[in-house]
Amino acid sequence: MNILGISCFYHDSAACLIKDGKIVAGSEEERFSRKKHDTGFPFNAIKYCLKEGEIDVDEIDYIAFYEKPLLKFERILSSHLETFPKSFRAFVGSMPSWLNEKLRVPSIIRKKLKYKGEIIFVEHHEAHAGSTFLVSPFNEAAILTIDGVGEWTTTSTGFGKGNDISIKKEIHFPHSLGLLYSTVTAYLGFRVNNDEYKVMGLASYGEPKYVKNFRKIIDVKKDGSFRLNMDYFVYHHKMRMPSEKFVKEFGPMRKKGGEITQRHKDIAASLQRIVEETIFQILRNLHKETKCDNLCMAGGVALNSVSNGKILDNTPFKNVFIQPASSDAGGSLGAAMYLYNSILGNKREYIMEDIYLGPGFNTDEIRSFLKGNNIKFKEFKDDNKLLKKAADLIHKNNIVGFYQGRMEWGPRALGNRSILANPCNPEMKDVVNKRVKHREPFRPFAPVVTYEDYMDYFEAKTQVPFMLFVYPVRKNKRKLIPAVTHVDGTGRLQTIRKDWNPRYYQIIKEFEKLSGVPVLLNTSFNIRGEPIVCTPEDAYRCMMGTGIDYMVIDRFLVAREDNPKDKWTSWEGN
Amino acid sequence: MEKIKSFLKGFGKGFKKFGEGVSNVVNFVLLTFVYFIGIGITSLFAKIFGKKFLDMKEGEKSYWKNKEGEKELKDYKKMF
Repeated sequence: MNILGISCFYHDSAACLIKDGKIVAGSEEERFSRKKHDTGFPFNAIKYCLKEGEIDVDEIDYIAFYEKPLLKFERILSSHLETFPKSFRAFVGSMPSWLNEKLRVPSIIRKKLKYKGEIIFVEHHEAHAGSTFLVSPFNEAAILTIDGVGEWTTTSTGFGKGNDISIKKEIHFPHSLGLLYSTVTAYLGFRVNNDEYKVMGLASYGEPKYVKNFRKIIDVKKDGSFRLNMDYFVYHHKMRMPSEKFVKEFGPMRKKGGEITQRHKDIAASLQRIVEETIFQILRNLHKETKCDNLCMAGGVALNSVSNGKILDNTPFKNVFIQPASSDAGGSLGAAMYLYNSILGNKREYIMEDIYLGPGFNTDEIRSFLKGNNIKFKEFKDDNKLLKKAADLIHKNNIVGFYQGRMEWGPRALGNRSILANPCNPEMKDVVNKRVKHREPFRPFAPVVTYEDYMDYFEAKTQVPFMLFVYPVRKNKRKLIPAVTHVDGTGRLQTIRKDWNPRYYQIIKEFEKLSGVPVLLNTSFNIRGEPIVCTPEDAYRCMMGTGIDYMVIDRFLVAREDNPKDKWTSWEGN
Repeated sequence: MEKIKSFLKGFGKGFKKFGEGVSNVVNFVLLTFVYFIGIGITSLFAKIFGKKFLDMKEGEKSYWKNKEGEKELKDYKKMF
C-alpha cells in the first residue's frame, strides 16, 4: 500500500512516501525550491518521493494531508468574530490565501498531481503524534505534542500502544507555548517561525531575572495545563505578536539587527525557564496518568533541544524519542503513518533509525557533474585515503564540506550534507562564522561524537543520533573542544555509530588519530538564510560562494583554491 | 523580431502587474464588505447574547479540554 503524506500552506512544506508502512522517501520542499521554510505546494518534494518509490501518481492508494483545513478556518473566523473590529487588517491580509489555497486543498492536490484517489485529512496534532510514536522504538509510550497551533489545538497529551494512538487532552488556541516563544522571538527582533532557536541559544547568556514578569503572562496549573493572559498578545487579531502591555512589561522591543543587550539575554533566559517549567509540569502529570516510562514528543516546541536535554532529570520518564522533523514538515510523515497504522489498523513495520530519506546522487552522477562543469577535483579509488586526507585537512584548521549519500530529513545536517571543522581550535567558531555561516556571534556550533566516546565527553543521559538534546560538556573536556562548547558549558551533540553512517564515523575516528579527540564541529551545509544544500551543484555553489576550503563529495575531493570563483559569492573575503 | 519579442514580454509583465493590482483592489473592497457586514453583524449579535468565540477566561481549576471520542475512516475524509 502506497501512502503519500503532504504538509503545506503554513510553513515547512514537505512530502513523504510510505510503502506498506515503511518510509521510502521524505523531503522538505525548501531543499528543491531553495526558498527557506517554503510554504507552497510541495510539488518538487512529491515528484522526488514518487521517483524514489518508483511509482506513478495512479499507484498511490491514499494521500494523507496533515491537518483539517475547515477546522482551522473555523478557528480563524472565531478569532475575527471575537476581536472585531480590531482584526480588520489581519482579515484582509489573510483571507486571499485562505480562499485561493487553504480551503481548496483537495482540488489543488487533484489538479496539480492529476490524482483521482482518496484524500484523508488527519488532525494536525494527530499527525504530530503519529510522526513520533509510530516511528519510535516503543510499543507503548506517553505522547506530548506541542507547537504554535494546529486547527484549535496547541498542546495535546495522549498514549500510544501498538498501532493505536489515543489523544486524551488538549489545550486550545489562543493559549500556546509555541506562540509565547514566537512572541518573544518577535519582541527580540528575530523572525517568527524561523529564529526561535536563536532565542534558545541567546538564553544561555542571560539570567532568568524576568521570570516573575512571565508569571503574570502565563498561569500554569498543577496538572500542567496553562493559560496565557491575552492582554499581553495581539497575535489572535493582528499580523504582529506582542501587545503594548507586553512592551510596557519588558521594555522597548529590539529592532531587527539592533544591539543585543543584557536585558534581551535575560528575557530570553526567563522565557526558556518558564517554558521548561511548564513542559516538565505537563510531563510529570502525563507520567502519572499513563504510568509509562517511555515518552514520544513532536511539534515545533519539541525542537527545543535545551529543554529536551533536561527531561530525564526533571521528570520520571526514562526514555525519550523525538522525531527529527518535529515541526510541520514532519506532519506529512505523521499523517501518512497515522493513516496506515492507526486509521487502517495495519501493524507497525518501521522504526526510524536513520534520517537519510532525501535525494541522493551516485558516484557517476557526481563525476559527470564535476566534469561537465570543468571543476578540478581528485578522485580517490581508496576511500580510506580520502577520509584520512579529509581528517588531516580538518586537523589543519581547514573547513571541509562533507557531501555524501541521501540528504537528511528534518532541519539538522547529520553527516550527509554537513560542514566539518576542528572543534579543538578556540578560534574555529569565529572562523566558520566569518567565512561560511555569517551567523550571530552568540550562536553555538554543534559537536558530533562517536558513540563509544560520548559519555567521556558529555554528561549525556542517552545517545543522541538526531542532535535534539543539549547536554553539558564534561568539565575536564571543555578546554579540549572549545569551538563546540557553548557559553554555559553545554553542547547540542550528535552521537554517531559506525553502522549508522560508516564514512562519517570514520572521518571522526581519523581525526581522533591526529588530535586525540573523537569529536568534530558539525554544522549544516548552507549559508545563513538558505536551505541545506540538496544537489552536488548546490554544494559546489555554496563552497565557491563561501570560505569552505575543501569539499569531500562522494569519492572526490574538490579544493576551493583550484577552481575559479565564477559562481555567486556571499563571502566578502573572496 | 527580437525587439517585438522583448516589447511583448515587457507588455505581458506590465499587464500581469496591472491585473494583480486590480485584483488586490477588488479583493480589498469585497473583503472589507464581508468583514464589516458578515463578521461585524455576527460579532455584534454574539456580543449582545454573550457568546464567546475564544476561551480566554482565567482562574479555572484546569485548562485541559478532553478530546472527543473515536473517529472512523469516513470522518477523516472530511476537511472538518
